[in-house]
Amino acid sequence: MQKPRLSRRQFVATTAAASAVMIAAPFVRGARAAGKLAIGFWDHWVPGANDTLTKLVNDWAAKEKVEVSIDYITSQGNKNRLTIAAEALAKSGHDIFAFPTWEPQAYSKYLEPVSDVMEPLIKQHGQVNATVEYLGRADGKWIAVPATVGSQIKGPCSRIDLMKKLAGVDVQALYPAGGPPKADAWTLDAFLKAAEACHKAGASFGIGLGITSDSVDTAGAIFHSFGAALVDKGGKIQAKSDPVRQALDYLKKLAAVLPPDAPAWDDASNNKWLISGKGALIMNPPSAWAVAKRDAPQVAEQCWTHGMPAGPKGRYAPFLPYFWGVWNFGKNKPAAKSLLAALSTREAAEKMVAASGGYDLPSFAKLTDFKTWAEEGPPKGTLYHYPNPHNHQILSVAAAPAPPKIAAQIYTQGVQTKMVVRHLQGEAMEKTLAWAESECEGFMRT
Amino acid sequence: MVDAAIRAEGVKSGARKRTSLRRMMQRKSTIAFFMALPLITLISLLVLYPAGYSLHLATLNKSMERFVGFGNFTFLFTRETFWMVVQQSCIFAITAVIFKALIGFVVAHFVHNIPAKGQRKWRGMLLVPWVIPPAMSCLAWLWLFDPSYSAFNWLIALFGGDPVPWTGNTYWARFSVILVNIWIGAPFFMIMYLAALKSVPEQLYEAAAIDGASWWQRIWYVTLPMMRNIIAITALFSLIVTFANFDIVRIMTAGGPIDTTHVFATWSFRVGIEGADIPLGASVSLFMVPILTVAAVFILRDITRRGNES
Amino acid sequence: MSRDRTWALRWSYFFLVLFAIFFLVPPIYMLITSLKTSAEISAATNPWWVFHPTLGNYIQLLTSNQYLTFFRNSAVVSVFVVAVTMLISVPAAFALSRMRFWGSATLATGVFLTYLIPETLLFLPLFKMFAVFNELTGIELINHWWILLIVYPTLTVPFCTWIMIGYFASIPKELDEAALIDGAGWIQTLVMIFIPVALPGLIAATIFAFTVSWAQFLYPLAFTTSADQLVLPVGIITSLIKGDVFNWGQIMTGALLGAAPPLIIYAFLMDYYIAGLTAGATKG
Repeated sequence: MQKPRLSRRQFVATTAAASAVMIAAPFVRGARAAGKLAIGFWDHWVPGANDTLTKLVNDWAAKEKVEVSIDYITSQGNKNRLTIAAEALAKSGHDIFAFPTWEPQAYSKYLEPVSDVMEPLIKQHGQVNATVEYLGRADGKWIAVPATVGSQIKGPCSRIDLMKKLAGVDVQALYPAGGPPKADAWTLDAFLKAAEACHKAGASFGIGLGITSDSVDTAGAIFHSFGAALVDKGGKIQAKSDPVRQALDYLKKLAAVLPPDAPAWDDASNNKWLISGKGALIMNPPSAWAVAKRDAPQVAEQCWTHGMPAGPKGRYAPFLPYFWGVWNFGKNKPAAKSLLAALSTREAAEKMVAASGGYDLPSFAKLTDFKTWAEEGPPKGTLYHYPNPHNHQILSVAAAPAPPKIAAQIYTQGVQTKMVVRHLQGEAMEKTLAWAESECEGFMRT
Repeated sequence: MVDAAIRAEGVKSGARKRTSLRRMMQRKSTIAFFMALPLITLISLLVLYPAGYSLHLATLNKSMERFVGFGNFTFLFTRETFWMVVQQSCIFAITAVIFKALIGFVVAHFVHNIPAKGQRKWRGMLLVPWVIPPAMSCLAWLWLFDPSYSAFNWLIALFGGDPVPWTGNTYWARFSVILVNIWIGAPFFMIMYLAALKSVPEQLYEAAAIDGASWWQRIWYVTLPMMRNIIAITALFSLIVTFANFDIVRIMTAGGPIDTTHVFATWSFRVGIEGADIPLGASVSLFMVPILTVAAVFILRDITRRGNES
Repeated sequence: MSRDRTWALRWSYFFLVLFAIFFLVPPIYMLITSLKTSAEISAATNPWWVFHPTLGNYIQLLTSNQYLTFFRNSAVVSVFVVAVTMLISVPAAFALSRMRFWGSATLATGVFLTYLIPETLLFLPLFKMFAVFNELTGIELINHWWILLIVYPTLTVPFCTWIMIGYFASIPKELDEAALIDGAGWIQTLVMIFIPVALPGLIAATIFAFTVSWAQFLYPLAFTTSADQLVLPVGIITSLIKGDVFNWGQIMTGALLGAAPPLIIYAFLMDYYIAGLTAGATKG
């Protein structure tokens, strides 16, 4: 108890200062903490990206004399979500955890508020988008810090050659590298037409209709483009509404020209589809392109990551943030918060973006101009539009704006993609809507 | 085996040492109890107690703070998915067991037919699926069924066929998980039947041959009646295991597409652990109990009957 | 008659070959894929042929700490579980088959019936029980590999006890009576006489316990989550399969290596294994 404990006020003061000061001012260890920190990070899909994060943490740890241990936990098979559930139930485990999209809300009562970390960061790096606020705040407090690592926009990744040849769409003209998009003609109708043309020529769009996030995100963004929400902000079920009907109708037409086993696809299937050279477009962050660069370079050279098509109610892109949260039963909360601040500096973010080949996205407005995105290739500039630099699309998450606990269920049970598959397989529209309504009723359980 | 314990112990002979024997008998039951104590502890603490505890969990609300009685069950009854899971579990278990039994029987016959010195080799090869941990072999199947890289579809395409959506639509996905289940389970039946075939006395076949019985009649009138017990027991056990199967479905399809391949275990995992609704998950698994009870009754009857025979 | 016999034999071989193909295709395909590079797999060449064989996948896995950790965890867990299982089930089987005490008949039947309660019914309550246990005592069990030493025996002990009861029952009564009259105690009788005589049964039970613990999937999936606590089946499925990365060569290698220990054991001890499997059937 002799060692001075960092007070909240001091701490805020420290983090509010510029990051350089933050790193320079040594973190004072808490009396009980004994300087240990256990971290559960997301196991990155881009080879080598974990190492950079490990190095950043170790640098911080060496400076602060904190003993850290890092576990990289995959999201495949929901392993990370299982771990979170287990730790919440057992009230023990890691100190910091990388929470996928919905988990901070689901476990908000076990999370240490981090407004004292977030507020200075926002002041420094600019605003975060509405989706991050929706997912990362509960009861007026920030419950988690948006992580650079793992956060992603799932826009289209197209084959330049196939799109030009089969569908007559020049994606590089729509989204020129280094300049603002000229994509007014890039609408859902144009998208559907291209999908049909490519399907006819044997290079279907590789969009899954499963219940893992890649599939759900695409369906969710298209729902948003029609202004369709299954449950509204107030928690009222809106499954039987016209926007939902329009969205479903559109998705059915789209699904008809997707690969026949799209309903069984998981997050890896679309990548394999692209890498195998079978498809003209997938909806994925740049990891598929990065792996293609290694295993199928002739495919990678033709890939172009760009924006979503616009619908009647706007141009929505699926944004899937990861969060770093601090368990409130953790034993070293001040150290944990200090690390989160250290990982959120511009320099740290830039390193993570570079290490992930541009995959990772900081959530702050002023952090979308790193040169990684402009320079990655081949083809050079393929990632320029990935971080949405000209703000021409609205970043959204499927099932928003329902109350987060309900939305999380809609999302994880893949209600929207299941609706598409049901309707696609011949179930009448109204029957599908009734089914969705009953599912949503089930999610109201407490 | 169990009858040995049920039957009275015959140590009462040896009249000369009666007194010392009696003392030992008194000590014996104590020693025996202590020798069985770890077993009793293990079963009651980690099997019986949790089994009862799941009953209790099933009566709580989602956040496990409130008693809701049959609330979870009535909720389940209103769920379309639940009824589909019931249906799929039955289809899955029954079809798989029937085909496992058939294939096992046929293969056992062929192995039994060939000269004895080659039998060991064939038996070894055919037992491989049963020995590989299911989680590992399912990965091979998963890769064989992969949407973009299916090796089966490659062969089909070679002969000009259309690619099959192995895990993509409901019927094929159900077919695929059942196929994998049969693949893993059939060797077990084969081994059991082979052992049974070996225990059928050769004279019975000779007698049948003298009577001019055809190949089919020999199977129908000699082999099958002799094997009836083993077929019944093996099928019953396999039914229980298949009904409660988890890994195959979990790895192959994770329940998809649109939940149509979920069985009780996988769906219970999905709602219980992944959906963070432990009481509902427990309620789902409790629906396996009626089936298990029926199985238990049959097996108990069999045991007691055998006990009486000896 | 002999012509008939030859034809029956030919047909038998023909169908056996067909079934062997059906039974062996997945493992063979695992081997084929494990010898390919990622580039060859992604090029989607003939999936049944290796054009540029490589041992790269094997070398990578066998030098990766993570995979070796899974392997070590699996080995440690399985060995300990086998030991615990034998320590519990052999004395119990002896007591139940040779010595009587109040309720022993019921218990013998009960052991048999526990086999009917599948693990899928138990994992949720067990999970909650361990969480409560942690709250009460502060001892963390969830997410440590040793929790498997507690839960696996529930799967192995009933079956092994059952097999051992069968083997002990087949030993002539005169043997232990003679030993007892000679003044040997019960424990001595078990150790000195029964265990040596029932050795084949013991081996069968050991193989069982080992294969069951090596192959278990649900319990480790539910109870362990950190990468350094995982056993092979769960480790391969959750760590080698990375959503966006294309490494099926490695996955197949991992699965094949993971399947190797039971395959090797069974190649040497197949007859015991089969004797164990069919013990109930032939002696029942």
